[in-house]
Amino acid sequence: MVSIKRRRDDNEEEGTPRKLRARIADDEAGAESDAFEAQTPSRRARNQHLTDFGTPKSILKKTGTANGVNVTHAATPKSNRKLLFETPIKSANGETPNGTPTIVRNADRSARRKSNRRILEHATHGEESDEEAFDEEEILAEEILDEEVGAVETVEEVTQVEVPVPETPSKRKRGRPKGSGKKKPKSPTPPTELPPHEEYFWQNRPGGLKTSNNTLSAQSLLNHDEYFQAISGYEDRHQSEMDFLLELHSRAFDQWMFELEEGFNVCLYGYGSKRTITDKFAAHLYHHMSEMAPYKDSKKIPKIAIVNGYAPGTTLKELLTTIASIAVSNVTKLPNQPAVLLDFLLDQLSASPPSHPIPVILNSIDSPYLRKAPVPSMLARLAAHPSINLICTADTPNFPLLWDVGLKTQYKFLFHDATTFAPYDAEIDVVETVNELLGRSGRRVGGRDGVGFVLRSLPENARSLYRILVIEQLALDIMVQGSDDDDEAAATPKNKKVAHAKAAAPESNQGVEYRVLYHKAVQEFVCSSEVGFRTLLKEFHDHQMIESRKDAMGSERLWVPFRQEELEGLAEDLASDAF
Amino acid sequence: MEFEHQRCYVYQPNAHEERPPKRQRIGKASFQPQLKARIQTYRDLWAEQEQCIQNTLEEADSVTQGSIVDFVAAAGSSPDEPKFAIPTGLVVAGPSIASHGPYFERLGRKIRADTNSAYTVLTAGECPNLKTLLKQLVKKATSRVDEEDEDDLDQPSRPSRHGPKLLNYDLGHIQEWRKKNHVSSVVVTIQDSEAFDAGLLTDLIGLLHSWLDRIPFVLLFGIATSADSFEDRLSGQSLRYLEGERFDVTQSDDIIEKLFSATVASLDNRLFIGPQLCRRMLDRQKDYVQNVQDFCDGLRYAFMSHFYATVPSVFLDDRLKYEDTQAESLEAVRNLPSFRQHIETRLEQGTFARRTVRTLLESDQELFDKIKYDISSAQNELSSLAHAANVLFSIREALQMTPNVKASTIWIRAASGDLLESPLLRETMLSLKKTPSNKFADLLSTMEELSSQKELPYERGPKDAVVAIDVSGIQSEFNSILAQKETSAPLRTEHDVQNDSVRATVVAQKVLLEKHKAALSKQDQAYSDLVTRVYSHLTSFFELTLIDPQTLLFSEIFIYDLKSPHLEVFQPKPRFSVERAMASPHDYLGCDCCGSVDGKESALGATQPATAIVYQMYLESGALINVTDLWSAFKAIAGDEDNDEESKTMALFQRALAELKYLGLLRPTKKKTDHVAKVMWKGL
Repeated sequence: MVSIKRRRDDNEEEGTPRKLRARIADDEAGAESDAFEAQTPSRRARNQHLTDFGTPKSILKKTGTANGVNVTHAATPKSNRKLLFETPIKSANGETPNGTPTIVRNADRSARRKSNRRILEHATHGEESDEEAFDEEEILAEEILDEEVGAVETVEEVTQVEVPVPETPSKRKRGRPKGSGKKKPKSPTPPTELPPHEEYFWQNRPGGLKTSNNTLSAQSLLNHDEYFQAISGYEDRHQSEMDFLLELHSRAFDQWMFELEEGFNVCLYGYGSKRTITDKFAAHLYHHMSEMAPYKDSKKIPKIAIVNGYAPGTTLKELLTTIASIAVSNVTKLPNQPAVLLDFLLDQLSASPPSHPIPVILNSIDSPYLRKAPVPSMLARLAAHPSINLICTADTPNFPLLWDVGLKTQYKFLFHDATTFAPYDAEIDVVETVNELLGRSGRRVGGRDGVGFVLRSLPENARSLYRILVIEQLALDIMVQGSDDDDEAAATPKNKKVAHAKAAAPESNQGVEYRVLYHKAVQEFVCSSEVGFRTLLKEFHDHQMIESRKDAMGSERLWVPFRQEELEGLAEDLASDAF
Repeated sequence: MEFEHQRCYVYQPNAHEERPPKRQRIGKASFQPQLKARIQTYRDLWAEQEQCIQNTLEEADSVTQGSIVDFVAAAGSSPDEPKFAIPTGLVVAGPSIASHGPYFERLGRKIRADTNSAYTVLTAGECPNLKTLLKQLVKKATSRVDEEDEDDLDQPSRPSRHGPKLLNYDLGHIQEWRKKNHVSSVVVTIQDSEAFDAGLLTDLIGLLHSWLDRIPFVLLFGIATSADSFEDRLSGQSLRYLEGERFDVTQSDDIIEKLFSATVASLDNRLFIGPQLCRRMLDRQKDYVQNVQDFCDGLRYAFMSHFYATVPSVFLDDRLKYEDTQAESLEAVRNLPSFRQHIETRLEQGTFARRTVRTLLESDQELFDKIKYDISSAQNELSSLAHAANVLFSIREALQMTPNVKASTIWIRAASGDLLESPLLRETMLSLKKTPSNKFADLLSTMEELSSQKELPYERGPKDAVVAIDVSGIQSEFNSILAQKETSAPLRTEHDVQNDSVRATVVAQKVLLEKHKAALSKQDQAYSDLVTRVYSHLTSFFELTLIDPQTLLFSEIFIYDLKSPHLEVFQPKPRFSVERAMASPHDYLGCDCCGSVDGKESALGATQPATAIVYQMYLESGALINVTDLWSAFKAIAGDEDNDEESKTMALFQRALAELKYLGLLRPTKKKTDHVAKVMWKGL
């Protein structure tokens, strides 16, 4: 096939403007087949020649010259190696100097066809073809196609510029050196001004993920004490603006009250903690109410229920009980189940409606504790009752997704943007959240020393159990990593993806399975029954030295919340009976 | 005492935060002249509207509800007769699931009131499986009359003299309860039948059927799709157990349309909701919610906003006396754009007009009278406008014209003032000209009805008097023409195409097409004249009534057409708001320091809040983020050289990270150490 091609090319060559290109390519090929040292002068001469009679594209020329000079004087070891690497292939291909250019062109042409085919293939069944490899090849394919579009002149330029730099696509032959695709100058800066969805796909593209391996040193993160000390000394430079925002929002208090009176509920959203607003609103409401009919000139005080949804462990039952304590005057015995309690409360409110709706201020209605299935619908039922006025705040940006059309109708919310920029002081435990985010929740116990401290106070059996767990976990980690390393060593682009998937897998399968750990413990005579085993584990749990989770299969997994280095240290300490 | 970490508590005012400073602030903030009067006016107006809404809703419901109640009553009429299938009502309630709940609640009230039946509603949410379903059923059916605590039901066997205690999901409870309470039937309503598992429904039907000899069940299924697809989901076996009847509930589209003409497009409105807002509300209904309640809420909020925020709206109160008005309200009226416009045009109209302008500007009394007079006349004109829209709609309906344009659409176009020149009107009037006599009869009866609601003026007489179309006169004239008619074919007008014939002649190799009018009979001619007269009257009626409401003086007082609070309050964009706050904090803070840096919008500045800085770096990074690099970048931007400051910078950084996590923008990942995964892309 190649030979047919060549013949045709030869025919074409007669009197075609390509000749120039062919000649240059000739030179180039000749130069390349020479030893590295030998080629420089000729190349330089040619560059010189081009400088004198060349195309008007001066910038390109200059770079060409500069590169040439560079090569002559201080050939970097990199390019040197490259050339040595490439030479045998070239000479194998271009046995006859005259034949080389056509071969190059043919190669280009067949590559063109190939790349067309590849792009087509990818379009039809993209999943099957390997993405990483494709990435490189696609770039090459596109480049070749681009070249085709470019006129002869462009080809010249390319040769000019790229001659000194060995790793150019135009010079790549069939046996393209491995890894040369990586050298392809990819644009280091990501494309800007992409529409959001394009950006999503751009950032999630396979192989597009390159972050450095830097790690934070353990000291740089602050612990609770340091954090509070640092933050208490901090003064926000936008304090006055934030105060102004707050002031703006509090001007709407009367409006909100009017809205509540008309049977709507109010929901505040926006960035920043809205606790200050709700606090001020509660005060405002309180004063307003205490001047109204049933409270004025009487001992009675208005009652406003306040619920902090963000506080860990907030339950609907507590909320309902609080409201019931306001709504129901003679509390006999409240039902136990939240659902029944809600029915009871609503019945009470309908049967003997209070003189005015009971205001309920709920901070963070979208907190994780109030998100789960029955709570939103029950809250909605409560909010729908005319004797309840709900004022709530929502922090997350996507909170409306919590409610479907039916619930939304029941809630009857009017939404107000109440951006405050205030820090979420009460809502977030900053240090804890960051530790969790970085997988360092072990810091909670006070690190390795803390664990040691706890273990010292525990019986021998507990220490043994902990040691087993640590060692098992380490072994698991090493196993996972080992398989990763193996994969990566043999990483042709094809199975890289598999390796990647494996590395991602432990996220759900982290830790040691409960059963496995129990059997190990029994084998080593740490405990004799599951009850004893549980007792030991409970102690660890209480000190937050282990964490547990159900995995995808439903079996419980336990692990020590430390990173590998710390685990190794721990294992050493435990083995040497340092505790 | 610190309450911020307490979960639930009852508010107690701070001891040190006493009243005086508070009072002062409130006094200053609420500069709202005559707010009480305005709110009172709002309440009066809204009460009227709400009455309209209630009536419309009840009217829409009443037919189907009546037939369902009859069905239930018939099923329970002979309780002791053996039945072979469960009487089943398939209530096709349409796709707007939000209105199903209230509908079945109303239905339940009616059934309980009108028939001697127990009524229970079950929803898919509370019935994941048969056992729970039965528990719920037992609980709901029995606890209606005598309250029984859940705890007692949960304790299983407590032996009594009636033998072993029944389990709490045994239908025997209902049987026992029925013996005590003597209800004729037990109505079990499955509110959202589509959400139930088909297997569960089959089981339920089988079970209820097996109990049918002891408890007379009646089943009602709420269906959002169609009765056919409901039938497809059940097996033949269970279908044999059912004896179904279908009830079609008025769809929410139709109800909304009815509500619209009863409220917004009603003829005796004092406050008019403008076309922009109406279009928005109706589009929202069509595209997103399909919910009657939501429409009413939107309307209510429009009323609320108008009376709360617009000071001159106090003049909408009919009983308002000059003595009660405050100077501020009148001053506010003098600042209305339409008033200023009016003054400016009057100024150019000569000396007499100039004198009235002076009195309007100087005398509060004069202005008050003017406002009162103008508002009532404008209300009249707007009412005519609504009437005209209604007339146009009715004409189209009587002439059976396509495409079918909704009354609300016509109203909105009329209110935005572009109906008069619209092709819609022209086309309608043209086809009116061609109407044959059989359709014309329908048209006349419609017009009769419309003119009884409000007369149809077509000419302005002297001194504000108007000349109205004498529909009954036309009617009798028409009847007399019809009486003389000899053929059975309907009479046609001269504009009717059927009277035209086209003759083609060839003259000098050119084809000449000539239209020839067929000779009209005498009756046809008379009819044609009549139609032409009606046509010209109606045309001038439309020209007279279809005004542009925005040009009316004081239109700000009696028209509310602002989209601003309405849109944000009902369709908030919380995600956009949060993203904006963090991506360009300056928009909210309005500070001097964080605006555009070096003329470049949205550049990262050290002065911005820490979270905003981290967020903007977050936006730039890929799907995985190395926290160490993020930290060093943050330190480079926000940090100081000072070593002591580093812990402060770190604290800020940690807080920013934690906030992003709290907002759901970050999550931990195990893919790489010290990396976090990006969850949200801005603007997606």
